[in-house]
Amino acid sequence: MGIGDAVLPDPVKFVLNWGRRYSLWVFNFGLACCAIEFIATSMGRHDFIRLGVIPFAHGPRQADLMVVSGTVTDKMAPAVKRLYEQMPEPKYVISFGACSNCGGPYWDSYSVTKGVDQIIPVDVYVPGCPPRPEALLQGILRLQDKIAGEPVSLNGGARAARSPERSTARVLTAPLVRPDSGA
Amino acid sequence: MRSRTAEVAAALAHGAGPGGQAGESFGMWTVEVPVDGWRATLYAARDTHGLRFFDWLSAVDELEEGYRVVAHLLDPDTVTHLLISARVPLADPRLDSVVEVFRGAAWHERETHEMFGIDFVGHPGLTPLLLPDGFEGHPLRKEFILASRVAKVWPGAKEPGEGHGTGPRRKAIRPPGVPDPEVWGPAARNAHEAG
Repeated sequence: MGIGDAVLPDPVKFVLNWGRRYSLWVFNFGLACCAIEFIATSMGRHDFIRLGVIPFAHGPRQADLMVVSGTVTDKMAPAVKRLYEQMPEPKYVISFGACSNCGGPYWDSYSVTKGVDQIIPVDVYVPGCPPRPEALLQGILRLQDKIAGEPVSLNGGARAARSPERSTARVLTAPLVRPDSGA
Repeated sequence: MRSRTAEVAAALAHGAGPGGQAGESFGMWTVEVPVDGWRATLYAARDTHGLRFFDWLSAVDELEEGYRVVAHLLDPDTVTHLLISARVPLADPRLDSVVEVFRGAAWHERETHEMFGIDFVGHPGLTPLLLPDGFEGHPLRKEFILASRVAKVWPGAKEPGEGHGTGPRRKAIRPPGVPDPEVWGPAARNAHEAG
Protein backbone atom coordinates (compact mmCIF):
# COMPACT_ATOMS: atom_id res chain seq x y z
CA MET A 1 0.00 0.00 0.00
CA GLY A 2 1.57 3.23 -1.16
CA ILE A 3 1.10 6.62 0.32
CA GLY A 4 -1.44 7.41 -2.40
CA ASP A 5 -3.83 4.82 -1.03
CA ALA A 6 -3.69 6.22 2.47
CA VAL A 7 -6.84 7.80 3.85
CA LEU A 8 -6.27 11.51 3.89
CA PRO A 9 -7.59 13.73 6.65
CA ASP A 10 -10.52 15.93 5.73
CA PRO A 11 -8.65 19.26 5.72
CA VAL A 12 -6.11 17.86 3.24
CA LYS A 13 -8.91 16.48 1.11
CA PHE A 14 -10.62 19.85 1.16
CA VAL A 15 -7.47 21.67 0.11
CA LEU A 16 -6.68 19.26 -2.71
CA ASN A 17 -10.23 19.38 -4.07
CA TRP A 18 -10.35 23.13 -3.62
CA GLY A 19 -7.22 23.42 -5.77
CA ARG A 20 -8.61 21.14 -8.41
CA ARG A 21 -12.01 22.73 -8.71
CA TYR A 22 -10.70 26.25 -9.20
CA SER A 23 -7.93 25.40 -11.64
CA LEU A 24 -9.59 23.61 -14.49
CA TRP A 25 -7.55 23.93 -17.64
CA VAL A 26 -10.17 23.28 -20.25
CA PHE A 27 -9.70 21.59 -23.57
CA ASN A 28 -12.48 22.59 -25.94
CA PHE A 29 -13.40 19.80 -28.29
CA GLY A 30 -15.40 22.06 -30.58
CA LEU A 31 -17.15 20.05 -33.26
CA ALA A 32 -20.06 22.20 -34.35
CA CYS A 33 -22.09 25.30 -33.55
CA CYS A 34 -22.03 24.64 -29.79
CA ALA A 35 -18.34 25.50 -29.88
CA ILE A 36 -19.35 29.10 -30.63
CA GLU A 37 -21.35 29.21 -27.40
CA PHE A 38 -18.35 27.78 -25.59
CA ILE A 39 -16.18 30.56 -27.01
CA ALA A 40 -18.80 33.10 -25.99
CA THR A 41 -18.67 31.71 -22.46
CA SER A 42 -14.91 32.11 -22.40
CA MET A 43 -15.01 35.73 -23.55
CA GLY A 44 -15.51 38.97 -21.65
CA ARG A 45 -19.26 39.01 -21.08
CA HIS A 46 -19.58 35.62 -19.42
CA ASP A 47 -15.93 35.10 -18.59
CA PHE A 48 -15.62 31.66 -17.05
CA ILE A 49 -12.06 32.42 -15.98
CA ARG A 50 -13.66 33.99 -12.90
CA LEU A 51 -14.71 30.44 -11.99
CA GLY A 52 -11.15 29.24 -12.39
CA VAL A 53 -11.75 27.66 -15.75
CA ILE A 54 -8.79 28.46 -17.96
CA PRO A 55 -9.59 28.18 -21.66
CA PHE A 56 -7.40 27.08 -24.52
CA ALA A 57 -5.09 24.59 -22.87
CA HIS A 58 -2.15 23.92 -25.14
CA GLY A 59 -3.35 20.41 -25.73
CA PRO A 60 -5.10 17.54 -24.03
CA ARG A 61 -1.95 16.66 -22.08
CA GLN A 62 -2.12 19.98 -20.26
CA ALA A 63 -5.87 19.87 -19.66
CA ASP A 64 -8.05 18.83 -16.70
CA LEU A 65 -11.44 19.28 -18.29
CA MET A 66 -12.67 18.42 -21.75
CA VAL A 67 -15.79 20.13 -23.06
CA VAL A 68 -17.22 18.20 -25.98
CA SER A 69 -19.30 20.80 -27.77
CA GLY A 70 -20.92 19.69 -30.98
CA THR A 71 -21.91 16.73 -33.07
CA VAL A 72 -19.70 13.70 -32.53
CA THR A 73 -19.64 11.53 -35.64
CA ASP A 74 -18.56 7.91 -35.81
CA LYS A 75 -15.63 9.05 -37.90
CA MET A 76 -14.54 11.55 -35.24
CA ALA A 77 -15.23 9.30 -32.25
CA PRO A 78 -11.83 7.54 -32.23
CA ALA A 79 -10.10 10.93 -32.16
CA VAL A 80 -12.26 12.08 -29.24
CA LYS A 81 -11.42 8.92 -27.33
CA ARG A 82 -7.73 9.18 -28.13
CA LEU A 83 -7.45 12.77 -26.98
CA TYR A 84 -9.43 11.97 -23.85
CA GLU A 85 -6.99 9.17 -23.05
CA GLN A 86 -4.10 11.59 -23.44
CA MET A 87 -5.41 13.81 -20.66
CA PRO A 88 -3.77 13.24 -17.30
CA GLU A 89 -5.80 12.14 -14.27
CA PRO A 90 -7.83 13.53 -12.68
CA LYS A 91 -9.86 14.44 -15.71
CA TYR A 92 -13.42 15.55 -16.24
CA VAL A 93 -15.74 15.76 -19.21
CA ILE A 94 -18.64 18.09 -19.82
CA SER A 95 -20.94 17.11 -22.66
CA PHE A 96 -22.20 20.41 -24.03
CA GLY A 97 -25.34 20.47 -26.14
CA ALA A 98 -27.94 18.05 -27.40
CA CYS A 99 -25.72 16.48 -30.05
CA SER A 100 -22.97 15.38 -27.74
CA ASN A 101 -25.49 14.38 -25.07
CA CYS A 102 -27.50 11.99 -27.21
CA GLY A 103 -27.17 12.78 -30.90
CA GLY A 104 -29.70 15.60 -30.67
CA PRO A 105 -31.50 16.44 -33.90
CA TYR A 106 -29.32 13.88 -35.67
CA TRP A 107 -30.57 10.98 -33.54
CA ASP A 108 -31.49 9.01 -36.66
CA SER A 109 -28.44 9.80 -38.77
CA TYR A 110 -26.23 7.11 -40.24
CA SER A 111 -23.06 8.92 -39.24
CA VAL A 112 -23.67 10.55 -35.85
CA THR A 113 -22.66 8.94 -32.57
CA LYS A 114 -25.67 8.84 -30.25
CA GLY A 115 -23.98 10.69 -27.46
CA VAL A 116 -20.32 11.10 -26.53
CA ASP A 117 -20.95 9.02 -23.39
CA GLN A 118 -20.86 5.96 -25.62
CA ILE A 119 -17.09 6.37 -25.93
CA ILE A 120 -15.91 8.33 -22.87
CA PRO A 121 -17.32 8.84 -19.37
CA VAL A 122 -19.18 12.12 -18.94
CA ASP A 123 -19.43 14.01 -15.64
CA VAL A 124 -21.91 16.75 -16.47
CA TYR A 125 -24.42 17.03 -19.29
CA VAL A 126 -25.50 20.49 -20.41
CA PRO A 127 -28.78 20.37 -22.37
CA GLY A 128 -29.74 22.78 -25.11
CA CYS A 129 -29.46 23.26 -28.83
CA PRO A 130 -27.22 25.10 -28.43
CA PRO A 131 -27.20 25.82 -24.68
CA ARG A 132 -26.78 29.42 -23.66
CA PRO A 133 -23.46 30.41 -22.09
CA GLU A 134 -25.21 30.63 -18.73
CA ALA A 135 -26.02 26.95 -19.06
CA LEU A 136 -22.35 26.12 -19.44
CA LEU A 137 -21.53 28.25 -16.41
CA GLN A 138 -24.13 26.30 -14.46
CA GLY A 139 -22.63 23.06 -15.73
CA ILE A 140 -19.18 24.17 -14.58
CA LEU A 141 -20.57 25.00 -11.13
CA ARG A 142 -22.16 21.56 -10.92
CA LEU A 143 -18.87 19.98 -11.90
CA GLN A 144 -17.05 21.99 -9.24
CA ASP A 145 -19.56 20.80 -6.65
CA LYS A 146 -18.89 17.28 -7.78
CA ILE A 147 -15.12 17.72 -7.51
CA ALA A 148 -15.49 19.20 -4.03
CA GLY A 149 -17.21 16.04 -2.83
CA GLU A 150 -14.74 13.60 -4.33
CA PRO A 151 -12.69 11.11 -2.34
CA VAL A 152 -9.04 11.92 -2.85
CA SER A 153 -5.77 10.12 -3.12
CA LEU A 154 -2.43 11.72 -3.81
CA ASN A 155 -1.84 10.01 -7.10
CA GLY A 156 -4.89 11.04 -9.07
CA GLY A 157 -8.56 11.57 -8.61
CA ALA A 158 -11.32 9.24 -7.65
CA ARG A 159 -11.44 7.61 -11.04
CA ALA A 160 -7.72 6.82 -11.04
CA ALA A 161 -7.99 5.16 -7.66
CA ARG A 162 -10.91 3.04 -8.83
CA SER A 163 -9.62 1.99 -12.23
CA PRO A 164 -8.26 -1.57 -12.21
CA GLU A 165 -5.34 -0.94 -14.51
CA ARG A 166 -3.43 2.13 -13.39
CA SER A 167 -2.29 4.43 -16.20
CA THR A 168 1.44 4.48 -16.68
CA ALA A 169 3.69 7.10 -18.21
CA ARG A 170 3.68 4.97 -21.33
CA VAL A 171 0.24 6.24 -22.34
CA LEU A 172 1.53 9.81 -22.25
CA THR A 173 4.38 9.05 -24.61
CA ALA A 174 2.42 7.28 -27.30
CA PRO A 175 4.00 7.92 -30.69
CA LEU A 176 2.48 10.18 -33.30
CA VAL A 177 -0.07 8.64 -35.64
CA ARG A 178 1.44 8.52 -39.10
CA PRO A 179 -0.87 8.67 -42.12
CA ASP A 180 0.45 5.38 -43.48
CA SER A 181 0.42 3.46 -40.21
CA GLY A 182 -3.20 2.37 -40.60
CA ALA A 183 -2.76 0.88 -44.06
CA MET B 1 -36.08 35.99 -77.46
CA ARG B 2 -34.53 32.99 -75.82
CA SER B 3 -32.01 33.52 -73.12
CA ARG B 4 -28.42 32.54 -73.60
CA THR B 5 -28.88 29.79 -71.01
CA ALA B 6 -31.72 28.27 -73.02
CA GLU B 7 -29.61 28.38 -76.17
CA VAL B 8 -26.68 26.69 -74.47
CA ALA B 9 -28.96 24.05 -72.98
CA ALA B 10 -30.58 23.34 -76.34
CA ALA B 11 -27.20 23.12 -78.07
CA LEU B 12 -25.83 20.73 -75.45
CA ALA B 13 -28.92 18.53 -75.65
CA HIS B 14 -28.69 18.50 -79.44
CA GLY B 15 -24.99 17.65 -79.31
CA ALA B 16 -25.63 14.73 -77.00
CA GLY B 17 -27.58 12.97 -79.76
CA PRO B 18 -30.77 10.98 -79.30
CA GLY B 19 -31.80 10.98 -75.68
CA GLY B 20 -30.50 14.49 -75.11
CA GLN B 21 -33.16 16.75 -73.69
CA ALA B 22 -33.23 20.31 -72.44
CA GLY B 23 -35.83 21.73 -70.13
CA GLU B 24 -36.51 24.17 -67.36
CA SER B 25 -37.41 23.01 -63.90
CA PHE B 26 -37.80 25.18 -60.82
CA GLY B 27 -36.32 28.13 -62.70
CA MET B 28 -33.16 26.27 -63.61
CA TRP B 29 -32.19 25.05 -67.05
CA THR B 30 -31.34 21.39 -67.12
CA VAL B 31 -29.85 19.18 -69.81
CA GLU B 32 -30.47 15.48 -69.66
CA VAL B 33 -28.01 13.39 -71.63
CA PRO B 34 -27.58 9.66 -72.22
CA VAL B 35 -24.94 7.86 -70.18
CA ASP B 36 -22.51 7.45 -73.08
CA GLY B 37 -22.68 11.15 -73.91
CA TRP B 38 -21.88 12.33 -70.40
CA ARG B 39 -18.21 13.12 -70.69
CA ALA B 40 -18.49 14.54 -74.22
CA THR B 41 -21.26 16.88 -73.08
CA LEU B 42 -19.14 18.22 -70.25
CA TYR B 43 -16.25 18.75 -72.67
CA ALA B 44 -18.58 20.63 -75.01
CA ALA B 45 -19.97 22.70 -72.15
CA ARG B 46 -16.50 23.70 -71.06
CA ASP B 47 -14.82 24.26 -74.42
CA THR B 48 -17.61 25.37 -76.73
CA HIS B 49 -20.02 27.15 -74.41
CA GLY B 50 -17.67 28.66 -71.88
CA LEU B 51 -19.09 26.89 -68.80
CA ARG B 52 -15.62 26.82 -67.28
CA PHE B 53 -16.53 26.76 -63.62
CA PHE B 54 -17.39 23.37 -62.15
CA ASP B 55 -19.55 23.98 -59.11
CA TRP B 56 -20.60 20.55 -57.87
CA LEU B 57 -21.50 17.02 -58.83
CA SER B 58 -23.82 14.74 -56.93
CA ALA B 59 -26.56 12.21 -57.49
CA VAL B 60 -30.26 11.64 -56.85
CA ASP B 61 -31.84 8.29 -56.05
CA GLU B 62 -34.86 7.96 -58.35
CA LEU B 63 -35.79 4.50 -57.07
CA GLU B 64 -36.43 1.92 -59.79
CA GLU B 65 -35.56 4.44 -62.52
CA GLY B 66 -31.94 4.50 -61.38
CA TYR B 67 -29.60 7.16 -60.08
CA ARG B 68 -29.40 10.56 -61.69
CA VAL B 69 -25.93 12.05 -61.59
CA VAL B 70 -26.09 15.84 -61.72
CA ALA B 71 -23.38 18.41 -62.32
CA HIS B 72 -23.75 22.16 -61.98
CA LEU B 73 -21.62 24.22 -64.36
CA LEU B 74 -21.27 27.96 -64.63
CA ASP B 75 -19.85 30.56 -66.98
CA PRO B 76 -18.29 33.14 -64.65
CA ASP B 77 -18.32 35.89 -67.33
CA THR B 78 -22.02 35.90 -68.08
CA VAL B 79 -23.22 34.01 -65.01
CA THR B 80 -24.87 31.47 -67.25
CA HIS B 81 -25.38 28.32 -65.30
CA LEU B 82 -27.22 25.06 -65.76
CA LEU B 83 -27.50 21.49 -64.56
CA ILE B 84 -26.34 18.57 -66.65
CA SER B 85 -27.60 15.17 -65.66
CA ALA B 86 -27.41 11.57 -66.75
CA ARG B 87 -29.41 8.67 -65.37
CA VAL B 88 -27.50 5.48 -64.70
CA PRO B 89 -29.42 2.22 -64.39
CA LEU B 90 -30.04 0.69 -60.98
CA ALA B 91 -28.54 -2.67 -61.97
CA ASP B 92 -25.28 -1.23 -63.27
CA PRO B 93 -24.58 2.17 -61.72
CA ARG B 94 -21.59 3.19 -63.78
CA LEU B 95 -20.64 6.43 -65.47
CA ASP B 96 -17.57 7.93 -67.12
CA SER B 97 -15.47 9.99 -64.77
CA VAL B 98 -15.13 13.66 -65.70
CA VAL B 99 -11.92 14.22 -63.76
CA GLU B 100 -10.11 14.77 -67.06
CA VAL B 101 -12.55 17.59 -67.85
CA PHE B 102 -12.63 19.24 -64.43
CA ARG B 103 -9.94 18.24 -61.97
CA GLY B 104 -12.13 19.46 -59.13
CA ALA B 105 -14.69 16.78 -59.89
CA ALA B 106 -12.42 14.13 -58.37
CA TRP B 107 -13.49 14.87 -54.82
CA HIS B 108 -17.18 15.08 -55.75
CA GLU B 109 -17.09 11.79 -57.62
CA ARG B 110 -15.34 10.17 -54.69
CA GLU B 111 -18.07 11.34 -52.36
CA THR B 112 -20.85 10.33 -54.77
CA HIS B 113 -19.25 6.92 -55.13
CA GLU B 114 -19.21 6.53 -51.38
CA MET B 115 -22.73 7.80 -50.75
CA PHE B 116 -24.54 6.25 -53.74
CA GLY B 117 -22.30 3.39 -54.82
CA ILE B 118 -21.95 4.76 -58.35
CA ASP B 119 -18.80 3.65 -60.12
CA PHE B 120 -16.97 6.39 -62.00
CA VAL B 121 -14.94 4.74 -64.72
CA GLY B 122 -11.53 6.34 -65.14
CA HIS B 123 -11.40 8.02 -61.74
CA PRO B 124 -7.84 7.98 -60.37
CA GLY B 125 -8.77 6.77 -56.88
CA LEU B 126 -12.26 6.03 -55.62
CA THR B 127 -11.16 5.42 -52.04
CA PRO B 128 -13.54 6.08 -49.14
CA LEU B 129 -13.29 9.59 -47.83
CA LEU B 130 -15.97 10.51 -45.36
CA LEU B 131 -17.49 7.41 -43.81
CA PRO B 132 -15.85 5.64 -40.88
CA ASP B 133 -13.69 2.61 -41.58
CA GLY B 134 -15.68 -0.54 -42.15
CA PHE B 135 -18.94 1.25 -42.94
CA GLU B 136 -21.23 -0.95 -44.98
CA GLY B 137 -23.73 0.37 -47.49
CA HIS B 138 -24.33 3.62 -49.28
CA PRO B 139 -26.18 5.90 -46.90
CA LEU B 140 -27.75 8.32 -49.39
CA ARG B 141 -29.50 5.54 -51.28
CA LYS B 142 -33.16 5.39 -50.42
CA GLU B 143 -32.86 1.66 -49.83
CA PHE B 144 -30.40 2.35 -46.99
CA ILE B 145 -32.02 1.39 -43.70
CA LEU B 146 -31.85 3.95 -40.91
CA ALA B 147 -31.45 1.59 -38.00
CA SER B 148 -32.12 4.27 -35.37
CA ARG B 149 -35.54 4.90 -36.82
CA VAL B 150 -36.28 1.19 -36.81
CA ALA B 151 -35.24 0.86 -33.18
CA LYS B 152 -37.00 3.95 -31.87
CA VAL B 153 -40.51 5.19 -32.48
CA TRP B 154 -40.85 8.49 -34.27
CA PRO B 155 -40.33 11.11 -31.52
CA GLY B 156 -42.09 14.02 -33.19
CA ALA B 157 -45.52 15.36 -32.28
CA LYS B 158 -46.56 14.79 -35.88
CA GLU B 159 -46.19 11.78 -38.07
CA PRO B 160 -43.95 12.11 -41.14
CA GLY B 161 -45.88 13.97 -43.81
CA GLU B 162 -48.53 15.25 -41.43
CA GLY B 163 -49.14 19.00 -41.65
CA HIS B 164 -50.92 21.65 -39.64
CA GLY B 165 -54.62 21.11 -39.17
CA THR B 166 -54.88 17.75 -40.88
CA GLY B 167 -57.53 16.75 -38.41
CA PRO B 168 -57.31 13.77 -36.12
CA ARG B 169 -54.06 11.94 -35.90
CA ARG B 170 -53.76 9.39 -38.63
CA LYS B 171 -52.51 5.88 -38.28
CA ALA B 172 -48.77 5.88 -37.68
CA ILE B 173 -46.88 5.41 -40.92
CA ARG B 174 -43.35 4.29 -41.46
CA PRO B 175 -40.88 7.18 -41.73
CA PRO B 176 -38.49 7.28 -44.68
CA GLY B 177 -35.59 4.87 -44.30
CA VAL B 178 -37.58 2.29 -42.35
CA PRO B 179 -38.53 -0.90 -44.19
CA ASP B 180 -41.79 -2.77 -43.80
CA PRO B 181 -41.50 -4.88 -40.62
CA GLU B 182 -42.95 -7.82 -42.56
CA VAL B 183 -40.05 -7.59 -44.98
CA TRP B 184 -37.12 -6.63 -42.75
CA GLY B 185 -36.39 -7.00 -39.06
CA PRO B 186 -37.11 -9.50 -36.27
CA ALA B 187 -40.76 -10.08 -37.24
CA ALA B 188 -39.73 -10.90 -40.79
CA ARG B 189 -37.02 -13.23 -39.55
CA ASN B 190 -39.40 -15.04 -37.23
CA ALA B 191 -41.91 -15.44 -40.03
CA HIS B 192 -39.16 -16.70 -42.29
CA GLU B 193 -37.97 -19.22 -39.74
CA ALA B 194 -41.51 -20.36 -38.94
CA GLY B 195 -42.47 -20.70 -42.58
